This record gives sequence, structure tokens and C-alpha cells, in this order.
Amino acid sequence: MIASIATLFLGFAIGYLGQRSRLCFVSGYLDFVLTHDTTLLKGVGGAFLGALAGYVLFNFTGGSVPGFPMILQTSVVISHSAWIITIVSGLGVGIIGALSGGCPYRMHVLAAEGKKTYWVYLLGFYAGLVFYDLVTVHLMDMLRTVLR
Amino acid sequence: MDNLNNLPSQPGKRSRSIRHMKISPFLAGLVLGLGSALVQAYFKVIPPVAYGVCMVCHPKDLFNWIADHLFHLSWGYSLASTNWPLLTVLGVVLGAMVAAYQHGELHLKSARQPLFFFINGFLMINFGLILGACPIRIVLLSAYGNLLGWIGWACVVVGVLLGTWGQRWSARRAAALRG
Repeated sequence: MIASIATLFLGFAIGYLGQRSRLCFVSGYLDFVLTHDTTLLKGVGGAFLGALAGYVLFNFTGGSVPGFPMILQTSVVISHSAWIITIVSGLGVGIIGALSGGCPYRMHVLAAEGKKTYWVYLLGFYAGLVFYDLVTVHLMDMLRTVLR
Repeated sequence: MDNLNNLPSQPGKRSRSIRHMKISPFLAGLVLGLGSALVQAYFKVIPPVAYGVCMVCHPKDLFNWIADHLFHLSWGYSLASTNWPLLTVLGVVLGAMVAAYQHGELHLKSARQPLFFFINGFLMINFGLILGACPIRIVLLSAYGNLLGWIGWACVVVGVLLGTWGQRWSARRAAALRG
């Protein structure tokens, strides 16, 4: 229950801030490539720095930050399938993000402003979620078995 | 003089200043990053780690939690959503709607290229769920020191570059065919 309420409040805050700042985790790179404008890219940097500072601070104050920083965990072994899946899906997220002009967070914000283009995007997004649950998740299980 | 103009005793001027209020993306990103670390550390949004904000995994958790509880479909969701679903996506939409309404930017605008955007949304969540992260969570994972997070982040950036290059190439080709 506490996680639900906390995420609702955090979501509200970042939704509000996202609408006022145009923060986007795809347009940041896109704007930099197209116009060398670093305004939105600074938002991505801010999120990285904020998260890093938060994990360090809350680890120090005894919050739940297990295994931080993960890079120092020498026992972590990454399988070939994980590498391949991360690279292909990461490229996919980037390409689709560039084509649609923003990340899912930005698309939710734009849809909330009443832009019907992004309502259609979200319709596809949630239809895709059903497809993932019915089809993609099983295909991925098969792929992982093949790659193992 | 500007400060005097923003005094509450002048409601017209004040409402105009609120209407144009902008927040720097850096500050918004900082709050997002810090907030996501806070909800993990003290509000049980864990496991998995670095799960404070994810705009593909949290909608999946919410959707699948509802599907599971209403229709017993046994669609998977994270351990952080076991008892109650994560409501980040609902909060984002509400927050953005309130901000847009407050600043006079809440307007219905008709859809353009609906099929293109439908397919983009469809593909985005599938690639995102295969990756296990949206472009926000990939940054959070990288801040957590996750090696796959760094690889994923680099691939997202390369993907954006490829997508931009593809769009440019397509536009040039279309112009050449017209000319």
C-alpha cells in the first residue's frame, strides 16, 4: 500500500514537472543531435545525478539500497543471451523513440495535455502490452532457451 | 520592479506570471532521480533495484495486477507490486493534466498520423519490456552501477542516432523524388 501511494505522489510530481519543463529522455539526445541544444539533455544528466546522489545518500542513511554500487559486485555474471537481448532491445527503444519524437514518459504527459495523437500512441502502447503478455513473453522464453 | 508586479495583491499580473512559469529540465530530472531513489529506499518500491520510476514496467505492473485480480489471468508483475500495484503512470497523467490546466495548456487537438503513432506505441512497449526498462529506468540502472544498464543506455542513444539518421535519409529521398 505504501509503495502505491508513494509512486502516485512521485508520479504526480514528475508529471507536473515534466509538463512544465518538457523533460524527455529521448528528445534530450534528439535535440542535441539535430540542433546541438543541450537544454533537455541536462534533464537526463540531472536524473542521473539525482539518482546517484539519492542512492549514495540513502545507502549511507540505512535505506533499502541493496548491492549498491552494482559495478563492484564481482560475482555478477552476464549471460550471452542477456547481452544480445539488451543490445537489440535498447536499439529498438532508441529507434522507436526517435521516430515518435519522445520517450513513453513524455508521451503520457503530451496525452494528458489533450493531444489526441498521443492518445492513439497510448492506445497502441497498451495494445502492445496485451500482445507482450500473450505472445512476446513466450517468444522471449523460447529465444533465451535457444541462445543458452 | 518585476518583483513588485508579482505581488499577490495584483491577481491579474500574478496569474499571468504563473501561466508562463517554466521549470528547468535539469531541476525536473534531479527531482525525478532523487525521488526514484527515495521511493526505493524508504517506500518499498523494490525489488527489482532501481525501480523507482519506469514508464513501461509500472504500467505493465498496474495493467497485469488488475487483469490478474479481476480475471485471474496470471500475467506477471514485479514483487514490488505484489500487494498493491504501482500507480506512477496514473500520477504522471494526473500531474501533467493539473499543470496543463493550471497554465492554460489543456486543449483538445486532433490526431495526426494515427496509424504511425499506434504502431510506434505498440513497438515501444514491446522493446521496452524486453529490455526491462524505459529510457528513464535505464538511466536509474546506470546510476545504480548496473553494467547492463550502461550497455542499454548506450544502445538507446545509438538507436536514437540511427532513428534520426533514418528520418533524415527518408526526408532527403522524398525531396529528391519530388524534385
